[in-house]
Amino acid sequence: MGDEVKQTLVNDHAELYDPPVARRYFGKFEKIGGYLGKVAAEMETQGALTRTEARVLGGYVSGVIGTFRALSLKYLMTGKAEAAQRLTIDRHESGFPVAQELMVMALDAAQADKHLSGMASEAELKDRMIRTIVGELKIPAGLQFSLSQRLYFEALKAGGLFWARNDPVAQWIEQVGERRHYLVHWAVWDTAVNLPVVYLMDLEDSGKKPLPNDDYRWPPLQQKVLAQSVGGLKLLTIASGFDADFEDLHPKRLRRITLGPMYSASFTLQSGPISKVLEDAKAPEGQDWALVWTVEDLISEREEIVKEGWFSSRPKQIYKLDALTGADTGTTRLERMIILPERPYQVLVEQDPKGLRGIRKFIVGAGGRLIPGV
Amino acid sequence: MADFETQIKESQAQVAAAQAKISTITETIEKARLKLDEGVSIDVENATLEDVHKHTDVMNGNIAELIMGLDDVTAAFSSEFDEMRSKTGWESFVGIFSEAKAESMRHERMRAATIDDKLQDLIAKSDVIVKLLQGQLEMLNVQKGKVEVNLAGTLTDREETVSALEAVRAEIAGMDPKIIELENKISVEQDAAARTKLETELANLNAKHNALVQDEQVKLARSQTLERYIEKGKTWVDSLTNQAATQLVLINKLQTDTKQRVVLYDALSSSLKTAEQQDVAHRINEIGVKTDQEAQAAMAGIGAATNAKMADMLEAHEGHMVFARKILEDKAKADERFARRFAAIVEKHDKNAYGE
Repeated sequence: MGDEVKQTLVNDHAELYDPPVARRYFGKFEKIGGYLGKVAAEMETQGALTRTEARVLGGYVSGVIGTFRALSLKYLMTGKAEAAQRLTIDRHESGFPVAQELMVMALDAAQADKHLSGMASEAELKDRMIRTIVGELKIPAGLQFSLSQRLYFEALKAGGLFWARNDPVAQWIEQVGERRHYLVHWAVWDTAVNLPVVYLMDLEDSGKKPLPNDDYRWPPLQQKVLAQSVGGLKLLTIASGFDADFEDLHPKRLRRITLGPMYSASFTLQSGPISKVLEDAKAPEGQDWALVWTVEDLISEREEIVKEGWFSSRPKQIYKLDALTGADTGTTRLERMIILPERPYQVLVEQDPKGLRGIRKFIVGAGGRLIPGV
Repeated sequence: MADFETQIKESQAQVAAAQAKISTITETIEKARLKLDEGVSIDVENATLEDVHKHTDVMNGNIAELIMGLDDVTAAFSSEFDEMRSKTGWESFVGIFSEAKAESMRHERMRAATIDDKLQDLIAKSDVIVKLLQGQLEMLNVQKGKVEVNLAGTLTDREETVSALEAVRAEIAGMDPKIIELENKISVEQDAAARTKLETELANLNAKHNALVQDEQVKLARSQTLERYIEKGKTWVDSLTNQAATQLVLINKLQTDTKQRVVLYDALSSSLKTAEQQDVAHRINEIGVKTDQEAQAAMAGIGAATNAKMADMLEAHEGHMVFARKILEDKAKADERFARRFAAIVEKHDKNAYGE
């Protein structure tokens, strides 16, 4: 592999090195984060998600918000203190921090105790800051940096974050005849597109032992679904592979919810109609963004018994694919939603670009209310 | 990677030793300053400075080698990729009887394969080195700060000494006409009493003159010592600055490399998985119960498509090359600086790794 290959792979990554730019970036996401939860609630009222699913999704969304908060502390002193590092984001079709940031965060979390034990307490740092400000008439950048790092490690310890890899959890739903119905959910920060992706799998279990207590099936299941959580794989591929791997587990429905990308005239580089919408909106700071949210859905149409080897047979799921686009998307249904503030929405309605017609729109109105668009 | 661990330990020990040496020199310089005020002069030996330089060179060389050594850590990735693409012994054996069964076994293995742990390991290792380098960098900056404060004080001191020296010199110069005048008076004076009085006056004046000359010598010596001291201090600050620059180059190179590697390996792994599985899944779903033997047989052909898929993926990225300019420049700069400083090590490494 030559250097050019490596080069092309990272050329969408951009470092935020200017202090005000980094602050604005985090400020923007703090605002957008609040709307993510509202969209989940909206989907629940419309019946697209059950209460359990909405709660699960809400958990991941607040994890994403927590992660942003932690990263914002880590990079609070970007460009101001000498030792401060810089955040790298993917500015093409993502707008989120690159997956590596999350991997490094996991590494930091593993060492949080070690760091915290060697650090001065918050009160002590603040006291020393005041001494520096009053006594030496200097900005205590070094101390500020230490405090920001302390708060970052404390946030990591407090938990409730979205990690690069969020291991699967099984939630019992109901008994369906002989089988137990579980909702298995997990999430990853997809490394190829640099976006948080949540997977929801409705599973019927015909094994003897309940799945989460079965040491023979549960650990390999966790490992396998994470290994298959690759953005490039279609749902059909993941589901049928899973079906083949576990004889007595029957994946009835698999959903993949991609929380992003975020488009912003000032941070990201976008192609296609959305770039023109954002440019023409000439929205003031804080109003110049759009967040796309994709739900892929794959439903099992029927179950058939296939022969396996000479003597045995097993049930196999046949999935329903969308008649028109199923071959390309590998899904039963693919729905995209876009959340955007009023100004860009007006422009979007005026221009009515073809590519964005089928997408459901949510508008952020006055007072941060979320209005389902037409 | 036991080898990496030992190398890390070795480097950590070297960094500690280097830091001790560097602090000692700064201390000596500070002590020398105190002694100067007491009038005792301590010389900061050139030999000690050279010793430190030699030591930090070895240390940096080692760290550079450690960075190059990450290449070997990453070699583990290639084997992982190869395993994904080729059959294991057992699979080949099964393949003698049923090609389709062997392929489906390989696919099952690939579905479970993940390089997450290896990526995390790579990031952790590179992080250890970065921390090592940053610790050193921080320490160098602290030392530099100390010496600079010290130097600033010494410079003011020297200015004062020089102006005092000038004053003494002016006073001496001012005394000369008086002495000549007195000598002239003595040579023409007839009265013995007056003559004695003048001679006493001259003796006093001479004594004062001598004292001033001695004072001038002392001041001159002090000024020269201070000057020498400042020279030494400056050399040390230069050396610290230079060392800090080296650390920055190393950190920069390492961070850029690791970033790119993680992305590259990840892309490779997912494209391998995607290319191999996608089409098969579709076919099997469509064929349903009839016979998936047929579809499984198709798997063998799809392996070949993997490489083409890779090429496609890379080409797709080319469209965004425009945005890459800044990163490209940064990378080129980092590489160039690294190469300049560590040409010898790179050469050695290349010979070892690729010459066989």
